[in-house]
Amino acid sequence: MKFNKEYYNLAEFAVDKAKNAGADSVEAYITDTQSAEIMVSGREPESVNAYRDAGIGLRILKNDKLVFGSSNDLSKESVESMVSDLIKKVPHHTPDEFNVIPDKALGTLSGSWSDYPDLISFDPQMVEIAIEEKIKKAVALEISSFDYSPKVKGSMFCMYMENSQIVYLVNSNGIAGWYPSSGCGGGVNVIAVDGTEQQSGTQMSSSVSFSGFDAVATGRKAAENAVKMLGAKPIESCELPLVIAPEVGMNLIGIIASMASAKSVQTGKSLLAGKLNEKLAADSFSIIDDGRLKDGFGTAPVDGEGIARQTTPIIDNGVLKNYMYDCNTAIKDGVKSTGNRTRGNYQSSGGVGPSNIYLEQGTYTPDEIISGIERGFYMNVAFGLHAGIDQTSGDFSFPAAGYMIEDGKFTSSVRGISAAGNLFELMKSAEKIGNDLTWMQSAGCPTFSVSNITIGGV
Amino acid sequence: MTERKKDREISRRKFLGNGAAGLAVMGLSPLAVESLWSNPGWRNLGVNPETDLLIEEEVLREAVKLLIAKGADFGDVYTERASFNSFTSDDRKINTRTTVEKGIGFRAVKNGKTFYAYTGSFDPDEIFKTARFVADSASGGASGEEVGTVKMLLNMTRQPMRISFPFNPDPGNVAVQDKIRMLQGLTDRAWSADPQVVQVSQTFREIIRHVTLAASSGKLIDHTLGLTEFMAGTYMKDDQGNLQRGGDGRTVYAGTDFFKGKNSFESIVDRSVRRAKNFLKAVDSPRGNFPVVLEAGGCGVIFHEACGHGMEADLVAKGSNFKDQIGKQTAAEGVTLIDDGTLPQMPGSFNYDDEGTPSERTVLIENGIQKNYMCDLIWADKLGMRSTGSGRRQSFRYPPIPRMRNTFVDNGSMTPEEILENTKRGLYVAQAGGGQVDVITGNFMMGVTEGYLIENGRKTRPVKGATLSGMGIQNLKTIDMIGNNLYVLPAAGRCGKMQSAPTGEGNPTLRVRGIVVGGKGEAWSDTEGGAR
Repeated sequence: MKFNKEYYNLAEFAVDKAKNAGADSVEAYITDTQSAEIMVSGREPESVNAYRDAGIGLRILKNDKLVFGSSNDLSKESVESMVSDLIKKVPHHTPDEFNVIPDKALGTLSGSWSDYPDLISFDPQMVEIAIEEKIKKAVALEISSFDYSPKVKGSMFCMYMENSQIVYLVNSNGIAGWYPSSGCGGGVNVIAVDGTEQQSGTQMSSSVSFSGFDAVATGRKAAENAVKMLGAKPIESCELPLVIAPEVGMNLIGIIASMASAKSVQTGKSLLAGKLNEKLAADSFSIIDDGRLKDGFGTAPVDGEGIARQTTPIIDNGVLKNYMYDCNTAIKDGVKSTGNRTRGNYQSSGGVGPSNIYLEQGTYTPDEIISGIERGFYMNVAFGLHAGIDQTSGDFSFPAAGYMIEDGKFTSSVRGISAAGNLFELMKSAEKIGNDLTWMQSAGCPTFSVSNITIGGV
Repeated sequence: MTERKKDREISRRKFLGNGAAGLAVMGLSPLAVESLWSNPGWRNLGVNPETDLLIEEEVLREAVKLLIAKGADFGDVYTERASFNSFTSDDRKINTRTTVEKGIGFRAVKNGKTFYAYTGSFDPDEIFKTARFVADSASGGASGEEVGTVKMLLNMTRQPMRISFPFNPDPGNVAVQDKIRMLQGLTDRAWSADPQVVQVSQTFREIIRHVTLAASSGKLIDHTLGLTEFMAGTYMKDDQGNLQRGGDGRTVYAGTDFFKGKNSFESIVDRSVRRAKNFLKAVDSPRGNFPVVLEAGGCGVIFHEACGHGMEADLVAKGSNFKDQIGKQTAAEGVTLIDDGTLPQMPGSFNYDDEGTPSERTVLIENGIQKNYMCDLIWADKLGMRSTGSGRRQSFRYPPIPRMRNTFVDNGSMTPEEILENTKRGLYVAQAGGGQVDVITGNFMMGVTEGYLIENGRKTRPVKGATLSGMGIQNLKTIDMIGNNLYVLPAAGRCGKMQSAPTGEGNPTLRVRGIVVGGKGEAWSDTEGGAR
């Protein structure tokens, strides 16, 4: 996948048209994406969907009013129509003195963005590799789970997907450039059967490069998760020390991160509002947003409005240090953008959110964490987190599964219970942080333990 | 620019390896010149939905012929042109977003395997090229001249529409500023409802999709779908700094005329305020296993998660907990579960599904016995069943898969008052929130966005932090009271299963015994019998 001068020119064309039509500032954001999605069932591909998709998103600022439109029709005629429609709509918007289309002074990178190899997460081979190779890898994901144990009887869901994308961003205030990115990954949800009992196990993983995605290890881990769950039973309602597996932890970190968005804070929707420099978590607990992480899924030279990506400590040794900002929220708070304008593709006008967000790892091996617990619960399955965690209060209750820990060892498997508590209490009661930082796309977490969780059981 | 190479110079490897590379994204079609970029209405889609197809019938016919010319069992060409117009009010500011999309999805199915690609161009050359590429990949790489017999009848028949989805008023006839003014009024209503309101977020959205489907079965379907949505969220904070959010919303295949009575915009705003307020004065939900009464309408989503997904044919075939259950008891006696795609204006309704099968009312469970699953063409074939008109896709970018439409538990005979009176102690769920299910085990979970304690047969204090979880079939067997007040709610939101789709859910007031309630409050048990 290569730089396409026509797209760059079209972005410039859109900016010129909007300026001529009376815009104060304008920004064109074009994404050109090449993707493949392969579903597998019964050791064979079930569906293969390969495509290329490009489109343009336009933000037009006039009299402090900001309007957004997008389309996958990249004809000049369509872009001209889009500009004239948006120019007609913008007077009806509510003005906001902090609305901005950034200029260079707000912090972009000098020179060409694609010349920063350390900030480019891109595998140029990905689109060149034949689809047959990708199908093979997708099938291997399922077969490796079947080969793990004869108790594995099938998969409910097995998928490989990849994306390679080039972003073209041109605005009327001197920020312009392009850069490529890529990512692939997959997951499998397998069925393990013993007699009349049926259990499930899931594993997903991702990589910036095609070769970095280990389908076999992922499939085997899913199978192990399912087989280990056979014989699982609920336990009685109780309170126990808890060990959180990285797969569950990264989702929790993601939810905490969303509360650190300056947009949520400024609009009064986040519980982190007004808590800067307060101690919110245990000493060992540090959350970092790193848009410059080498080979990170969310790594890029610039964010969704062309501001340089940065490394921002959110929670540092338990203390809330920073919110994540784009230019709009930064100007409002009188600070500098942290390069956290997120944007998926041309259809998105963007928001404020994490780049690569992770819980900093500690020094304990997962075994050391587990062996220190006399009686506790190891949670590696938690679902419905989006519905089970109240983001305004931090209270949560969701179904969980995992293993009992007794005398420092895994004993029985547990399913059919709920875990309940409060996200802030959980952060405060964090104890040992593991040294096994694990990433799934742009969220990372090691194994960690907390002193206490409420289990709702039988 | 668009690739203009001779078709056969592009091998299958290259096609799939490069995706539909260069297909079209810069293509200029005759229709594209007409502006979609104005306040959208029927006319602005560039076609007259009463008479015009998005693509000429000749072109569609040729494309379908090419799709199956290399031995595919069947195929279809799905053409779409859509506009999405959102008006969002947040932090006392109103902004719009406009998205215009068009594209054509090509599907060829061979031995149950799906080969799919799409293009953004409506140019006949690009259409034929993509159709050939997909046909080639489905044929297993066979290149060269087109072989085999053409199985389709080349007389395409335009299918009649049986259900009407009036979309009034035409959004194109209402000025942008009038829509903004309406939203401003609704935002003001929430802000002035209570001094504890600290933030209001509302979205009003109009989506118009013009779809033409040409299938190798000879079916030609052309319809325009108009979806209107309104979602309201209200944030409130008390003196102690506790923050809560309440929300409500509707999604309907209708225009703003639909939003009347208990579906009025104002009532949606008022419910969002009430729910936030309730949460502020709520007690922590008790936890444990005790009777749960589900209010009519807003709790149907529990059945969507707890059992609906497990009855979708692809998941059944792969081994969901509902596999091999036809003819067996999967719910308590008296429980009838229906998935109905023919309810006018409901978010899961349509005349034909996205592979051309007429929509229908499908009885999944009748009086406790499993009767059917939700099938599309491919999975119906694999299960030896027939399509129930459940093949749906999010857009031209996706192949169809089996999906729910409007899923509900049918009426019983009790009054809602009787059900409440006969429950001494339990949880009353007025509205369930989002959820998730593991279809292998049937383990599901669900949030509660409006709930109350039941004490001595009466709805009392509001609760917060409640979640419901359980095992699909086991839970359906513990429904012990069913009301006579069925309500199918056109709730806002989407069901996500690789693709997103609007769905409706419903139920009469009913009581379930076997659900696990999660919460931070005290542990309760099912100490009383209630009326059996």
